[in-house]
Amino acid sequence: MKNNNAGIEDVLDEVLQSYPAKSMKNRKEHMLIKDQKKGKHKIKANTRTIPGIITNRGCAYAGCRGVVLGPLKDVVQLVHGPIGCSYYAWGMRRHQGVAAEGGKNFINYTFSTDMQDSDVVFGGERKLKEAIKEAVEIFNPSTIMITATCPVGLIGDDINSIARQAEAEYGITVMAFNCEGYKGVSQSAGHHIANNEIMANLVGIEDKELDYKYPINLMGEYNIGGDAFEIERILEKIGYDIVASFSGNGTADQIKYSHEADLNLVQCHRSINYIAEMFEEKYGIPWLKVNFLGVDATIKALRNMAEYFDDPELKERTEKVIAEELAQIEGPLNRYKELFEGKTAFLFVGGSRAHHYQNVFKRIGIETVVAGYEFGHRDDYEGREVIPDIEMTADDRNIPELEVTKDDKKYNMRISKAKKEELQQKMPLDYYEGMIKEMEDGSIVIDDLNHHEHIKLTEALEPDIFCSGIKDKYTSHKMGIFSKQLHSYDYSGPYAGFKGHLQFAEDIAAGILNPSWSYINPPWKDNVELAGTIGGVR
Amino acid sequence: MSNFKRLNVNPCKMCMPIGAAVAFKGIEESMLLMHGSQGCSTYMRRHMSTHYEEPIDIASSSIDEQGTVYGGEENLRQGLKNLIKLYSPKVIGVVTTCLAETIGEDINRIVADFKKANNVKDISIITVPTPGYGGSQFEGYYLTLRKIVEQLGEKSRNKSSRINLVAANLSPAEIREIKRILDLFELEYTILPDISRTLAAPFTENYSKIPAGGTAVSEIKNMGDAAFTIEFGTLVDSSLSTAVYLEDKFGIPAYRLPIPIGLKNTDQLINTLAEISGKKIPLGLTEARGRLIDTMIDSHKYNGAGRAAVFGDPEMIYAVSSICQENGISPVIMATGTDLDIFQRKLKELTADSRDQNLIFSDTDFEEIRNYVNEYDINILLGNSDGAFIEEKDGIPLIRIGFPIHDRVGASRQQNIGYQGSNNLLDQITNQLLALKHDNYREDLYQKFYHSNKRTKSEKEIEELKVGEE
Repeated sequence: MKNNNAGIEDVLDEVLQSYPAKSMKNRKEHMLIKDQKKGKHKIKANTRTIPGIITNRGCAYAGCRGVVLGPLKDVVQLVHGPIGCSYYAWGMRRHQGVAAEGGKNFINYTFSTDMQDSDVVFGGERKLKEAIKEAVEIFNPSTIMITATCPVGLIGDDINSIARQAEAEYGITVMAFNCEGYKGVSQSAGHHIANNEIMANLVGIEDKELDYKYPINLMGEYNIGGDAFEIERILEKIGYDIVASFSGNGTADQIKYSHEADLNLVQCHRSINYIAEMFEEKYGIPWLKVNFLGVDATIKALRNMAEYFDDPELKERTEKVIAEELAQIEGPLNRYKELFEGKTAFLFVGGSRAHHYQNVFKRIGIETVVAGYEFGHRDDYEGREVIPDIEMTADDRNIPELEVTKDDKKYNMRISKAKKEELQQKMPLDYYEGMIKEMEDGSIVIDDLNHHEHIKLTEALEPDIFCSGIKDKYTSHKMGIFSKQLHSYDYSGPYAGFKGHLQFAEDIAAGILNPSWSYINPPWKDNVELAGTIGGVR
Repeated sequence: MSNFKRLNVNPCKMCMPIGAAVAFKGIEESMLLMHGSQGCSTYMRRHMSTHYEEPIDIASSSIDEQGTVYGGEENLRQGLKNLIKLYSPKVIGVVTTCLAETIGEDINRIVADFKKANNVKDISIITVPTPGYGGSQFEGYYLTLRKIVEQLGEKSRNKSSRINLVAANLSPAEIREIKRILDLFELEYTILPDISRTLAAPFTENYSKIPAGGTAVSEIKNMGDAAFTIEFGTLVDSSLSTAVYLEDKFGIPAYRLPIPIGLKNTDQLINTLAEISGKKIPLGLTEARGRLIDTMIDSHKYNGAGRAAVFGDPEMIYAVSSICQENGISPVIMATGTDLDIFQRKLKELTADSRDQNLIFSDTDFEEIRNYVNEYDINILLGNSDGAFIEEKDGIPLIRIGFPIHDRVGASRQQNIGYQGSNNLLDQITNQLLALKHDNYREDLYQKFYHSNKRTKSEKEIEELKVGEE
């Protein structure tokens, strides 16, 4: 089917036919078939979800409190709003964190003002102030982050001035995030709101003399299933020092002096590329697009990093570690490749992961036939060169833009312009190519996939593996197709780095090779009449 | 909350709309649309999926910032249109969220206009106001059931002999057990909501976007003709009670019973059914009762060591505390995050004969529960999986009961009701207490009797002692 684009076009047509006319027109622009001959591909992304279809997208609050702020270990996450939002964000993304020595770890906690009817009517500011006071008295954190839920913006509680007052009163860092759920079109808006606030009011508020040879920041890595632990292990083995992590296994305290790093590594382009840009503008730190998911991508990233620091000793050490790590996993990975050869995968995840995982699958013989992002933007699909052409929508304008300028005291150009241009020929320094370029001809790219489209595409393409999250995992199971959650890893992981890739292959094998799949069809299936009465509930 | 009045630390409750979602999932051929920000439906789908291990498909009107200024009417209309075209449901639940309620959306008017403009006749659209700040999942669940009956229930001239059974938030397996018991009494019945198949769908060859099963609209319409209503909900305010509504509106006698967990509560249900049906209690049930009693006697010496903290949904706490109480497992702490006046009184009554001091909290959180768990030497936790926070921090075992259970499989197959289910549950609790005993008794005995004045004995030596005894 892969080489027959006409056949695939029919599949997409069938998917679209079920929609009312207006929705059909809208959804059509969110899907395409990769075709090298066509040259550039254009996809619609980061636009409003159609009401009433079962979208997988979350809200700005989820992106802010859940994704970006949630992994910060030393922060009291105080949700200002009714109880649900705090409850639903509690421990749900399986980001992990080990407390630094003597440091605090609030990962197991969620805090809420538990707004009631009367608070919505008369305002919740007093309650918020008292909640902050209690949080300080009981938990004594160095940082409190207040996140807003839908009612807060609507009733006009001024969380920003409360944060400023509290900061003065208690002498700790108190930040406010106006991430009401209705802002933007997906959780991506929440990433922006969170990161902008962190950039504006947390990064650079402390200076620290670091005795690090290769100080780096890890950006857009959220330590799902312990991924950051494996990445940190490899980086430390080579000799890098992580100044701060945004935000997996990270702390607010480290972010305060993160401007002391010499290179920013960007894992998830979607959630943080704009912050990496600001770091360069303000402090002179370039960023490198890396991908620590998949051994091939990991090796590429490690070599690029060594090249950036341009130190023969570092390069040698990098190659030594690569060789050592590879020796441990290559054999098993190759055996898995033989086992999986010819299998296909359907990926719908994140704003970067649907791309990142393609090389993971490829290395073990599995081809990606559909890939899409839940909350990606056009540049995540098409590459950064498309950014000047992206039209600003009303929803984009509702999220305040942060303008940064060169910090005259702290700015320090890490590499010369000429050196940078030279490196850019070799590596994605300040650049991301997007997902589509790496995909095979005939594969489908689909943005903001919904329940109906998931079913239709699965029926038509019969992939062996479906990778998304918990909301469509069981739909996939009901259709008899193995599903691997790439949001939470089904309690497994890490999947990053070297050891992670092997763990992933083992989990895929445990899944698709599990004997239970062979019992799906009842022994009386051949008797069509009987199957209709016994198996066919509907 | 008694100590920290303004800061909720690790909530022991959820919000109203998730209760509404559970209720609507038990209605045949239904889809649910949450009017508000799309994060609400996404979060609740996520939470219900982990509990039931089933697809939970809930639509959203995806109100955006523009909608907060101009209203979400257009979003709701478009949402309904898409939902109808893609799913062809017979019933659509439209529930509100914080956002819709705060901006004052009139869903009744919008839905009425929509039905008129689009000539919608054969789809029942039921509206329920469920602001997240208006209560917890407990109120959301019961209010939704009542609204479904208020908006669909009719009275014809034909009085039927059927009974209505308004269920608490039980598992699909428990709903199946209720049906089995009602069948034993040869009763005709309507269960609301019937999640027995919708939230535990068998694997079949053809996946269906809306799972089979659920209470049919025709059955709900006829609820007004029934002979009796049994409702599992003794702590439910009468304004939220479907049984009370049916009694007030149609004169149907209401029996409001606790969830049949434990001997007394199950007896109450079985007696009621015998009375209503005029039939002798079937042998299968009397035997099952006998077996439960047998278990209670055989296990009592282990149960006597139990000091439990029971938490979660108020109605479930009542039932679980009840089985604890009658088995000598002291329900020392009974705590819910739901703010409910009657909770204190009902649980005080339940534990009036207790030899221990019982602590009863409503409107509390897990941080407070944890403090008391440690202060009062609790050795077993009974409640939903959010209590895992305490299990992890303090090493006190948690038996996962109720909703939600995120971190273990099988919540939809859990069967703790009736004589058989109570027996299962009691065995689980007893076995956990036995496990504690087996894991610790050598060290405990050593510390208590043999070396009580030599507390300095190193852990290593105690470890060796354990090995030596094997």
